[in-house]
Amino acid sequence: MMREAIRRVTPGLRGVAVLGIAIYCLAQNRQVSGNQVSDKEVLPIVQRCFQCHGPTLRMSNLDLRTREGMLKGGTHGPALVPGDAERSLLYQRIAGLQLPLMPMPPVQALNPREIGLIKDWINQGAPWTASTPASTAASTPTSTNGGGYKEKAITDQDRQWWAFRKPVRYPAPAVVDARWRRNPIDAFINKAMDEKGLQPAPEADRRTLIRRAYLDLVGLLPPAAEVDAFAKDPSPKAYDDLIERLLASPNYGERWGRNWLDVVRYADSSGFEYDLTVDNAWRYRDYVIKAFNDDKPYDRFVIEQLAGDELDQPTYDSLTATTLYRIGPRVRFREKNYPSYRYDYMDDMIRTTYQGFMGLSVNCARCHDHKFDPITRLDYFRSMAAFWGYVDYDHPLAPKARVDEYESIKRQLEKEITPLQQGVARIEAPYRAKQREQQIQNALKTFPADIQAAIRTPEAERTPGQKLLVAQVLINPEDVNPDMITVDLEASAKARARAKAEDVFGVTNNRYGARPLPLNKEDEARRAPLLAKIQEMVDRLPPPLPTADGVRDGDYRLAPDGQGDSHIPGTGRPVYNLKCCFVPEPGQAYQAPPLYFAATGEDIQADEKTFLVQPGFLKVLSNATPPPNGMPAATHPPNRTDYATSGRRRALAEAIASKDNPLTARVMVNRIWGWHFGRGIVATPGNFGRMGMAPSHPELLDWLATEFVRQGWSVKQIHRLIMTSETYKMASAFYQAADLEKDPTGVYLWRFPVRRLEAEIIRDAMLDASGSLNREAGGPPFFPSIPVTLRADQPRGVWELTKEGPDTWRRSVYAYVKRGLKYPMFEVFDLPDLNITCERRTVTTVPTQALTMLNNEFTLMQADRFAKRVLSEAGTDRERQVKTMYRIAFSRDPAPRELANNLAFLKKQTGPTAGSGADQAALTDLAHVVLNLNEFVYIQ
Amino acid sequence: MSGIFDSIGDHNPKRSFLSRRQFWMEAGMGIGGLALIDLLSQDRLLAAETTPAPAACLSTGDAAGSPLVPKPPHFKPRAKAVISLFMSGGVSHLDTFQYKPALEKYNRLPMEGKGEIKVRQGYPGPLMQSPFSFKQYGNSGAWVSEIFPNIATMVDDLAFVHSCQGASNDHVISHYEWNTGSVQMGFPSVGSWITYGLGSVNQNLPGFVVLMDQKGAPYAGPPNWAAGFLPAAYQGTVFRSKGDPILDLSAPSGYMTPDRERARLDQMAKLNESFDEKYPGISELSARISSYELAYRMQACAPEAVDLAKESDETKKLYGLDDPASAGYGRQCLLARRLIERGVRFVQVINGAYLSGEDTWDAHANINTNHRRHAREVDRPITGLITDLKRRGLLDETVVLWHSEFGRMPISQRGVGRDHNPGAMTVFMTGAGIDGGQHIGRSDDLGYKAEEQPVTNHDLHATLLHLLGIDHKRLTFYFNGRNMRLTDVSGELIPQIARDKQPKA
Repeated sequence: MMREAIRRVTPGLRGVAVLGIAIYCLAQNRQVSGNQVSDKEVLPIVQRCFQCHGPTLRMSNLDLRTREGMLKGGTHGPALVPGDAERSLLYQRIAGLQLPLMPMPPVQALNPREIGLIKDWINQGAPWTASTPASTAASTPTSTNGGGYKEKAITDQDRQWWAFRKPVRYPAPAVVDARWRRNPIDAFINKAMDEKGLQPAPEADRRTLIRRAYLDLVGLLPPAAEVDAFAKDPSPKAYDDLIERLLASPNYGERWGRNWLDVVRYADSSGFEYDLTVDNAWRYRDYVIKAFNDDKPYDRFVIEQLAGDELDQPTYDSLTATTLYRIGPRVRFREKNYPSYRYDYMDDMIRTTYQGFMGLSVNCARCHDHKFDPITRLDYFRSMAAFWGYVDYDHPLAPKARVDEYESIKRQLEKEITPLQQGVARIEAPYRAKQREQQIQNALKTFPADIQAAIRTPEAERTPGQKLLVAQVLINPEDVNPDMITVDLEASAKARARAKAEDVFGVTNNRYGARPLPLNKEDEARRAPLLAKIQEMVDRLPPPLPTADGVRDGDYRLAPDGQGDSHIPGTGRPVYNLKCCFVPEPGQAYQAPPLYFAATGEDIQADEKTFLVQPGFLKVLSNATPPPNGMPAATHPPNRTDYATSGRRRALAEAIASKDNPLTARVMVNRIWGWHFGRGIVATPGNFGRMGMAPSHPELLDWLATEFVRQGWSVKQIHRLIMTSETYKMASAFYQAADLEKDPTGVYLWRFPVRRLEAEIIRDAMLDASGSLNREAGGPPFFPSIPVTLRADQPRGVWELTKEGPDTWRRSVYAYVKRGLKYPMFEVFDLPDLNITCERRTVTTVPTQALTMLNNEFTLMQADRFAKRVLSEAGTDRERQVKTMYRIAFSRDPAPRELANNLAFLKKQTGPTAGSGADQAALTDLAHVVLNLNEFVYIQ
Repeated sequence: MSGIFDSIGDHNPKRSFLSRRQFWMEAGMGIGGLALIDLLSQDRLLAAETTPAPAACLSTGDAAGSPLVPKPPHFKPRAKAVISLFMSGGVSHLDTFQYKPALEKYNRLPMEGKGEIKVRQGYPGPLMQSPFSFKQYGNSGAWVSEIFPNIATMVDDLAFVHSCQGASNDHVISHYEWNTGSVQMGFPSVGSWITYGLGSVNQNLPGFVVLMDQKGAPYAGPPNWAAGFLPAAYQGTVFRSKGDPILDLSAPSGYMTPDRERARLDQMAKLNESFDEKYPGISELSARISSYELAYRMQACAPEAVDLAKESDETKKLYGLDDPASAGYGRQCLLARRLIERGVRFVQVINGAYLSGEDTWDAHANINTNHRRHAREVDRPITGLITDLKRRGLLDETVVLWHSEFGRMPISQRGVGRDHNPGAMTVFMTGAGIDGGQHIGRSDDLGYKAEEQPVTNHDLHATLLHLLGIDHKRLTFYFNGRNMRLTDVSGELIPQIARDKQPKA
């Protein structure tokens, strides 16, 4: 419909870069009456006109962004005659009373209520009081760093890049050999092998297969009894049944959810100086695990993470999914004093979103058009505009009635506590004054004579330099006016919890908190009951509701002050003349804050010298016909009754999760393939652009992508397809000199590639072997034990000191992930950087890994426990012990030579003084050896 | 220790681990004593007492398959190794190496004409002259304040850059900026890039070692020496000053005696070998076997490297180990020399522990007391290190870089302190044939902002790589669709440092 309108009305508009497709003005639910209409209500409506009469375009020389602009008018005369709507061109046009007959704006005509609002406003004299985004944006679009930017055209050739064309469902190639005919994957793989003249490996034996499937799909060792049963099972369906069992296991999500956490640069702490915990990050981690276990359709998974709060009916899960925005690297200190941080966070989101979901490095276009791919700098800012409205928001995960009840109790308590706190402050006031006086006296003693002189000099006689000195020494930003005290129980509870958590370090972190003030007996007696009463009230606050650390649309400029935020001049904090609102209240309209092209936040005034950017999708992926930057879903804004939201992120998410998007399905099936085989069909899963690698099996990639969509974006279905293929079932221990020569890195999969387990799975497998694994799933993270000296490396933030034991023997995916201090065992085994989306983990082999596996207390403890387990299962018979150990760790019996060798080893280690102690020590030796072996840490 | 020497492996000698006995025998040591042979060239040691390392700890070892295998530089290097002396917290250039008479002239007057003054804490104060007296030293006439009486004696060996300029007045972000090249968290540190580029000649020690202030970690902690998106193998390894120098270097007590460890290692090698036979052509697997051998050597070589028992009293005194104030940093500097001698590629020696501002150079409260204290901690150790490197002939092939995360404000904070100032900072470099006695760049009359030849982190890093024979534009790592560089898309060599030594006039 929208396309129609544009084509009919203004053909020239097709080339216009900026269409306000995602701006929804939801100032509904308000009946027009004789009430005073303010510019704040009018602006969101008028803003729709800006696409043609605003910063980038001035059709008919008309700029509607300010009252002045309206009065001045354009080619057809003044747009506004205050007090007389009927004579104002603005009203005539939007009401369709004037030729040309096109109710303005043509793209999305105003409804009668909106037209009525404007009419009332003009008739009331068109008051324009508040400083609005539009009026501050009124400067001419000459620019500094974005100056003269002209978006380059996207050519047909650009659109012809393989990854920008829709996947084609090629028929599976005809294959002669029956072995390679059953599964389309095999047909594609076999064809490529034939073409290269490669000889495929035979199928792996069942013991190898079950160990492979377990480690690959659930990240644990197969129980020995199950291995035996599977090895003996005569049914041809035995293997398929095994895959089904594993896909149904809750451990599957723990394993594959962890893979996803790499993509979204998951961590429990925010990094930078304070490395503060994201309180509910773990709920997102659990959400991801659950999504994999439930086989949540991937398109839905994408939409929930990017816009779970913008669905018509958000769920607890979808709200939790938006924690994606909160788990990136964030300074979380003095953010309001450093507006550039927000642009860095946007960059983080653009990078994570496009590389993660679409394999495109859009973030490269932050400062210039992409050097290799047809992605423009304006594309980058359009993408930023899609995110620009979001603000951090803690969504309560409770029914509205409970939330309301909690809020009302809290408000009531706060109301009662406030006068008590003020009372305390009044009692303390003289002491504080005295304290200040004392500080001044101290200052006088310790400061050089000239500062003392400055302080002693009467205010009126101070030199400018003395004034600065005195301001620094005497003005205390923490000075409290008792009457100004407000109480925020939840915030203070959080602050206390945080202080407590951080005190675990023995480092006093509460630099910005108040210290208790000692009083004399009499005043103490006056204060004590007040404090007791306050405490009593505080105790009446019910435990906080569970919350998701998510996002929703709002205005970041009005965010409440966070840690370290300071209003003191000289701190660089910009002043915004805005009254409303951090987040829109129910019934309130929402207007996303303006975003200027090429803005960096380094200099707010300079930023505003460029033009406003509207959200849009990558131009190269939009059809050549209008809308050029179409986000297909943007035509139906969220249908919400609780509060307004722009729908911009949802539009972006739906464009990404669309079956028409040529990248999204390809990128995900390629990731799944890469996690199964150690290498994707595209070996650069985060980059499908020109700097990425070409697909080794392009037709297979496309077939999988189309199949993925056809199967309702079911990830498990892709696992099924892959894991039941002959390709997957091939042996890894297979050697053909000719194959190795033709394809040394195994790109064409003539054998199953061996690969080292990831850090977390090595640890999980050790716990599993030793019988120590605590299978408790979900919930707040645990802290693996680290030495005190190491903890001191990053004194900020949290790392609780623990002792190794069942509490810490949970699966690694539940371990606290700290940006400022990685758990050493994971770090040495190539845990990826936690700050940037990871497309593929590196595998390096270094001596520090060996040191960890040899000497770390965790490893030694598990070796000890492994030995004890074997002893209890196998008894004292040495041969049975060795066999049991091999069956647990390697899912097989030792070969005769290995058995003999290990028996000799045990004998030697037991020494001449055999006895239960010596026997067990020798067994521990062997257990430790086994956990260190290549066979243990590699998937075969 | 005797038990260790009784269990020599009986397996395939091709891949055998060295027994500890063989190890020390190769090293030229008797079993009972620790008589080390002199492995270093004599001419280098003429001026100093010898402290050679055992041969086995200097050998390249079997580096095949190791990510730290030595790699050739792009062109003939001027230096093989780097010692970074990092002063955490922000050293005031105005109270150390930049003498500004204008600050005396305008002392206690408001700073004007410099635009909006952006402070980190509180309100902007008036200008403040240095509480320290300055004098000129050496043939080059370098101004040095009274707090560095020892460094002052060697200014003719040092090249000062007075115009370093950063992007942020946040400690941690600036630490990232100067130690990793990016103000964002998560980029690889300079030491990681260099070990990635050149590998390490000694596989028995990490290629990139961090020596923290003995009181604790600096601002930002581990991200300062993280490998970022480079493989984890290139991250800095912290050598701890108490207990084992490296985490997990030895087993905690009660778990595993050294002889049992030996036996376990031998058994591992044996079993791994029979496994690997099934996988010819997969070098990862054999590399893993080698890594255990290297780890075993490291268990001997790392403690040896940090053992100062063989250092003479004269040397210890040279590094200020006789003064409790400087003994901590002195020990770290002496260790740095020992590590460089043993082939470690990059050593960062940090002064300043983020326990409180006062334990770093973060002199908000009082320039006088803070900088006096920290200068005393580092003045003799740094002078001693450079002197020692020089007399051992090591300075010619080592770059020594003294730096911080930002300078400090010409205006005062509460009359006696100074706030952060990324606008200007002084660093100095020596060694690697750099012309000493140079003063490169200049800040404005008040020292507020770099004015002549401003130098960014990228410029400094490009120059550092250049001295090591690396073209900063060619040292790249493919990551997320881009060939990433330490210097991102910028970085100009500082010509006065990058050029070869000029003949003395």
